[in-house]
This record gives sequence, C-alpha cells and structure tokens, in this order.
Amino acid sequence: MSEIKTKQLRELVEAAFPELDTVIGWEAGYDALHTTPVFIKDAKDIGKLVWNPLCVRNLSGYLVKTPPVQSADENKKIGIFVKGCDSRSIVALIQEKFITRDKLYIFGVPCQGTIDWRRVMKAAPLKNIQSVKMDEKQLVVEDADGTHSFALEDVLARKCLRCAYPNPLMYDVLVGEPVAPRVTVKNAYKDVQELENRSLEERLAFWTKELDRCIRCYACRNACPLCVCQDRCIAETREPKWLSQYMHTSEKFLFHFIHSMHLAGRCTECGECERVCPMGIPVTLMKEELNKITRELLNYEAGVDPNAVPPLLTFSPNETGI
Amino acid sequence: MRIGVFVCQCGTNIAGTVDTAAVARKALTFPDVVYATSYMYTCSEPGQKEIQNAIKEHNLQGVVVAACSPRMHEPTFRRAVEKAGLNRYMFEMANIREHVSWISSDREANTLKAADLVRMAVAKLALNQPLFSSKVPINKRVMVLGGGVAGIQAALDCSEGGLEVVLVEKNSSIGGKMAQLDKTFPTVDCSSCVLGPKMVDVSQRENIKLYAMSEVDSISGYVGNFTVQVRKKATYVNWDLCTGCGICTEKCPSKQVPDPFNQYLAPTRAINIPFPQAIPKKATINKDYCRQFTKGKCGVCQKICPVGAIDYTMQDEIVTEQVGAIIVATGFDLFDYSAYGEYGGGRYPDVISGLQYERILSASGPFGGHIKRPSDGKEPKNIVFVACVGSRDPSVDRPYCSGVCCMYIAKQAILTRDHIPDSNCYVFYMDIRAPGKNYDEFVRRAQEEYGVQYVRGRVGKIYPKGDRLVVQGADTLLGVQVEVEADLVVLATGIESASGAQELAEKLRISYDQYGFYLESHPKLRPVETNTAGVYLAGVCQGPKDIPSSVAQGSAAAAKVQALFSRDTIETDPQVALVNERACIACGKCIEVCPFGAIQWKELRGGGRKAEVLPSVCQGCGLCNATCPPKAIQLQHTTDSQILAEVNILCA
Repeated sequence: MSEIKTKQLRELVEAAFPELDTVIGWEAGYDALHTTPVFIKDAKDIGKLVWNPLCVRNLSGYLVKTPPVQSADENKKIGIFVKGCDSRSIVALIQEKFITRDKLYIFGVPCQGTIDWRRVMKAAPLKNIQSVKMDEKQLVVEDADGTHSFALEDVLARKCLRCAYPNPLMYDVLVGEPVAPRVTVKNAYKDVQELENRSLEERLAFWTKELDRCIRCYACRNACPLCVCQDRCIAETREPKWLSQYMHTSEKFLFHFIHSMHLAGRCTECGECERVCPMGIPVTLMKEELNKITRELLNYEAGVDPNAVPPLLTFSPNETGI
Repeated sequence: MRIGVFVCQCGTNIAGTVDTAAVARKALTFPDVVYATSYMYTCSEPGQKEIQNAIKEHNLQGVVVAACSPRMHEPTFRRAVEKAGLNRYMFEMANIREHVSWISSDREANTLKAADLVRMAVAKLALNQPLFSSKVPINKRVMVLGGGVAGIQAALDCSEGGLEVVLVEKNSSIGGKMAQLDKTFPTVDCSSCVLGPKMVDVSQRENIKLYAMSEVDSISGYVGNFTVQVRKKATYVNWDLCTGCGICTEKCPSKQVPDPFNQYLAPTRAINIPFPQAIPKKATINKDYCRQFTKGKCGVCQKICPVGAIDYTMQDEIVTEQVGAIIVATGFDLFDYSAYGEYGGGRYPDVISGLQYERILSASGPFGGHIKRPSDGKEPKNIVFVACVGSRDPSVDRPYCSGVCCMYIAKQAILTRDHIPDSNCYVFYMDIRAPGKNYDEFVRRAQEEYGVQYVRGRVGKIYPKGDRLVVQGADTLLGVQVEVEADLVVLATGIESASGAQELAEKLRISYDQYGFYLESHPKLRPVETNTAGVYLAGVCQGPKDIPSSVAQGSAAAAKVQALFSRDTIETDPQVALVNERACIACGKCIEVCPFGAIQWKELRGGGRKAEVLPSVCQGCGLCNATCPPKAIQLQHTTDSQILAEVNILCA
C-alpha cells in the first residue's frame, strides 16, 4: 500500500517538477520507524521521497519559519506534501496572508493515520528495526528480536484517532483516493470533553502535574506552523515583560496560556506541539479546548475556508454567539 | 524616578472614611517616592500650588494625586504639573473617592485600599514616558447627514458662519418628517410655513452643496480630514435640466404607486415630486412602478418633458467629498403599529397612525385638508386618540418615552375640534408628559377650551362594529371599563431609530444604544459630541425629541463645528497606539481588527513592511494591542508593562 503510494507520488512529482523550484516532502529516516523532511531541488533526488504512516511531520511550517523556503525563480512554485491536517495549516497561513496560494503546488495525501513512535516504543522496546508495515488494523514491526504487531489504536498518534479531516482540503493533485474520516467534527473533541467533565480542582491538579514538567524549551512553539512571531515571541522579550526567568509552574502556565490564546480560532490541531514536546505534555489539549469554544460560540473552524477570517482577528460589531 | 504623592482629603468626602495622613505616610515607604503629603482640597488653587512648589523643592520627576475620578480633574492636575515644568503625562491619579471612600465606611480597610491604589499608581508612573501631541491641519468643510429640520438648521448655521457645507439627504427632497406635519405644537403654526423658508434658504446659499437622493457609502479618515464617498442614487431624471414643472407626473400612466410622503393614504404616480414645496423641486422615477422599467415600454414622460430631462439609462454615481467634520442628523422612523394586533392598525383602514392623521389634516395632503376617514371618505364624528403606541412599553421592546406623542395628539385633537366643531375627541393616555415651554398650558387648553375628553387608561382592544370601531379600554381614575364607538382611531405611534441607523453608525464608527439611537459622549456634559472626534449629533437620531430641541441641537452641533474649525490645526492625543517596528512581525492582524481604520502598512525602503498607526485616527481602544501576538503595538501611557506593574503590586 505505502509502496504503491510512494511510487505514485514520485511520478506525480516527476510530472510537476519542471514548474517547481523545491519540493518539500518526507524521506526515509535513520531507521524504518522514522521519516525525516527532505527538500528536493534536483530531479535526480525525487527517488528519495516516500509516503508511509510514519510521515508524521507537518511540513507547512517550512513555508514561514525563518528562513522560509522560497523560490528564487518567480515563475516557479514550491511543491509541498500535505496530509489532511497539514492542509489546514496551509489554509490558515493563506487566510492570514503569510503565504499565497499561487506560489504553491500542493501534493495532497489522503491519510489513514500516522504512527506515534513513542507509543510504539512504550508498548514494546524495539531494537534494530528492520521494517514497518501497516494495514487497516495493525502495525507490524520487524526488529532484531523478531516480529511485533500492535493494534492501531495503541500506536496511532492521538490527533489521528480524533481526525475529522483525513483528506487534504486544498491541493493541486491528490495522491491516491480519498479516505473516510475516523470521526465527525462534532465528535472530535472527546478528549477535552473528558477533561471538562472533571471538577475545577481535578483539572488544576491535572495541569499542574503536566505543566510542572515543562522545561520551557519552546519546542512546541518552534514546531507550530502558526506561531509566526519567532524571535519576537513575548516569551523572550523583556519589553513588555510578560514572562520572567523565574522557574515556577506559574510562569509555565502563563507561557502555555499565551501560546494557546494566540492560537485560539487559528490552531488547526496538527498536533506538532504535542509531538515535539520532549516531556510528553499533552499541550495540544489546551488548543483543542479553545477551538471547541470557538466552534460553539462563533461557529468557526480554523483552516477550512481560505477566504474566511479567523473570528478573533476581525472586528465585527454584529458578532453573534457572544 | 523621584515621585511625589499628594493625598487629597476632599473635605470630608475622602477624609471622612480614609486616614489620608496614614496613606501619605505609607506612600513614603514605596519605591521611588521621595515626598508625600495630605491636603484638604488638592484641586484648589493652593492645592495645585503646593504640588508645583513640591516639584521644584524636591526636584520631582513625577506626581501622583490620590483623589477623585480622573474624569473630572486629571486635566486640571496635568496642567498644574506642566506649569511646574514636568511633561503632563508624568502624572498619575489614584481614585480613592469613587473607588474607596464613597463605597465603604470601614476606615481601616479603606485606608489600606487607598494605599494599595496609590502604590499601583506609583508603580505605573515609574514606567511613564513623556508624551507629546502633534498637530494636523483641519479641512474646514462640514458634511451634514440628513436634511430634516435638525440637519437644515445645522447646515444653515454652519453656512452662516462662512463654512462650506455638504448636505446629504436620502430622499428626493429635504424637509424630513417636519415637512409631512400639518401644524406644530404648542403654537399651532403651519409646519411647512415655518420650515419652507429654511428649506429655500438651503437651496439658495452658495456655500451649501446639496445631494438629495443620496446616501453615504463609506467614510474614512479622521477629525479634520474625513473622506466620504456619497452614492447619488439614480433618479432617471437629469436634475440639471428638470425645472420641476410637473407635467411628467400629470401624464404618467402608472397611477397606483404607493406614496410614502402621504403615508400611503393615497397613491401617487411613478414619476413624481413628493410635495409642492420640495427642495430641490425635481422629479424622480420610482423604478418599481414605472412602466418603462416594469414592462419595457412607455416613455410617456420622456416624450412629454419639455426640457428632455428623462434618462432611463441613469446609473448610481459615487462622488467623493473631503470634509473636516460630520454632523449626523439622520432622524427617525415611526414605530410599526401593527405590532399591536389588538388595535388592528394595518387591518382596519380607519385605525391610523399619528403621522397619517397629519397628512389628512394637511391642506396639501391626500384629502385637501378635509378630515375624512380613509375607508369611505366620510367625515368622522367620534375620534379616539390612543397614546403610547410603541412608547413606554417593554412588551414591544420600547420602554422609553417618545416625548412628542402627548403633545401631538393634543394638537391633533384641537385641530379636529377646529375642523369639525360638533365632533367628540377622546384621548386614552397613561400620563401626560408636557414639560416644555407652554406645553402643559397647551394640553390644558385641549382639555378645557376644546373639550377634548381625556381618559386615563390603556386601550385593550379595538374591533369593528358595522362601519364604526369599538374602542375598549380602562378608565383607571374611575376604575371602570369604558367603551367608545369611534369613526376614526388615531394611534399615537412612537419614535424609533431610523432603519439603517446601525449600519451608518458603523461607517461613522460611533456608538449606538440598544434601540439604535446614537450615543453622545456624555449624557449631560457632552450631549452633541460622539466618541469619534469630529462627528457630532443633531436631532432625533440621538434620541426622541421635539422640533425645538432638534433645532437647538442642530445649532449646537454647528457651534461645535465652528469651535473646532476656529483653529487651523488640531492637537492629537498622544495616548494612542504605537508600533515598535523592531518587534513588529508584519502579520497585519492589527490592521484587520482596528475598528477605526487607524493602522496601515508602512513600506520600508529596503523592502518589507511594518504596521503604522495614524495617531490622529487612533482612538486608543487597545484592540490592536490585545491582538498583536508579539505585543509590538502598545498603547502609549497604558502599556502592557505598566498594566503588569500595577497588577504585580496588586498581587504582591
């Protein structure tokens, strides 16, 4: 399945390549359980591109993070691979005019879920991984000790288990056939619903325990395609001085509150922040909660309609729902 | 920083429940505070002098006054410190009266809270920066929106003062609601006779440019420099040629056209001039009823027009006007009486609104000034007036008093008795509200001289009986139910905000209340200004009022404009947003959210761009600051750091 798609996507890139400057995609990583981003500038490298359920990383951040991937030749576009979730980041960046649609050539990949390698390693410590195969029900990994199989629910990324948009919303060409979503948008917020059902004290205890582990490495911020302030982030400026160097949970709370508030109604729930957190803190949950509120109050979903304006980025005196 | 703290006793207003001397002693322990004292009346001459002396004596760099609300005396103290050589923004006020002494009598707690508020002010002041105003030139032209009596008065007064005026009226003639009235209270003089000369005056003044059949499309800019796009709606008659002779109306074959000027009591023609005294007296085609437009052929008016003014191909035209101030006088609409199903307005032809009755009474109205019932043209003998239809009634979301209905039904009853001496007039009322000059006397005259029967109570139901109407109601003074058989019922329909008032408010960036009336800057002390500098209010668009008040407010607005224009430049308020370009990430979110259009792109020489605030447009609302992710845009004098400093003190 993955092999067929990989072959197909290489052919599609081959066909489109004359009008492209760079193609951002995924290539094989240091073992069979990992992939890594690759930037194809030369047609002879197209063979490096792969597609499999380990292509977790949302590549859209490369379009805006310093230095952004740009075409030197005005007439050429940047090719980029997106899954359903990644395409919403692209849509959001277009909405906010950080990128323009006509400079992009989007290869859309319908996706049946990506693997969270940390969950795999937690389930079974693997060594010298030889091969990884996924079908509709399970993941089969072959390593030095033999063959291990895992039920998909146990190893898929959390964001994939609650994915309502497996098919790219915006693309120039689709790799393969669209797939059925795992859940509807309405049912995508069960994780935060579960948290909401707890008492205030329990929630505070939950977050205090989780955020106390935060080491303020800002990896979550750096990985977020919509965190666009970068070196101007107020986590690091001292004018205004919102955050200090004081190492206390309150400062960690404040950072994550600011991060979440800046993403309210903008976050497309690609899960990068949670994926990159070295401490395994479920930080996407905060953004999910804000998105849930935005959906309920303002009937808005981020990264769906490129012409929509995120509700917190506009002034509308006739706003309904508040 | 060297900070001085002055704790005002405000007589006993503050000292009664706050130990001001203790607050001053405590203030001396706060960082940066080098001097602190308490004084009887800090705002008095000697009180201000004491501040000024202390500034010199103790070499103060900033001053905190702990006293009343800054709303009143902040400007006073700013001037005082400025006179002593400090920048006026190196001053902070802590409100220990409205926020402390007046709301609690616990002296100990009050003293602690007052000290905390002083400490917050000190912490903020330590981060204050001197700020300076800039000057922008004023375009001394004024636009008046709405050509009712308030707008006409404002336009004439501005014109009188030598200003160039642009008057924009949405109908084909100026005159507004007053032009539809027959007589005016309490003098019972002819409405069009007093309004007419003013209307003619407007057309004859060389410095008034009149756009009738026009509406505002968009407004940009700021006080002194507004740019307004005016949409001149297609009239299908070239007004430069039209002489207002009226032959087109006479010959127009489309004869069943609703006539809003006559409140739909009689039809008009598809091409018409609304009334004989119209200014400008020009014909307009109603496209919805004109045969040329609905059937594609007719052309009678085009053939008959002696000057060839008819142009079926005319399109809306947008004109751009540059003005320095805008007076909004867009008037009102009448409450839709059909909301009261039990009264049958709209269902029974002889249940009519007050304004319809004005048209019936008017000599230029549909019945030539003879009182007739709309249903059969008979002269009514029993006439019932019902007050407060859409006024003072929360059940129809109109809890406010319309202010004019009591008076106009008294007037209409008097006129009715004049026209038909053997008629009986009944007025059902809740209370009589007649607070104006000679108003109460007028109502008394209706009751005593003209024998109008006033029944205190609400009407419950009106239903037809034969060709008459039965009005059922309560007489609450006698405590009995009453029934009156009436030939005609006049509902004193109340006032509501004009349709489209909210859309216009958003274009003008002014506020409106929940009923759509525009909000003045201060209900008592700034009744003509809006919160948008350079935009003023006149007439009923601000709230229900009668003709004298509308005229007075029109003149007041004109006076405000004259005062504004008496200078060549205006000083901007430096308490506005400012972009720190080094921190700006050029995301443009501030531009999107700014409700005043005060932020624009600034193109940098080396390519790239940054947000830039137009200080004269910025109203300092802070939306941009809240939205800016890296907080690169800060409100001067209320920066994030200053607010955080205050919060930190509060939470310490």
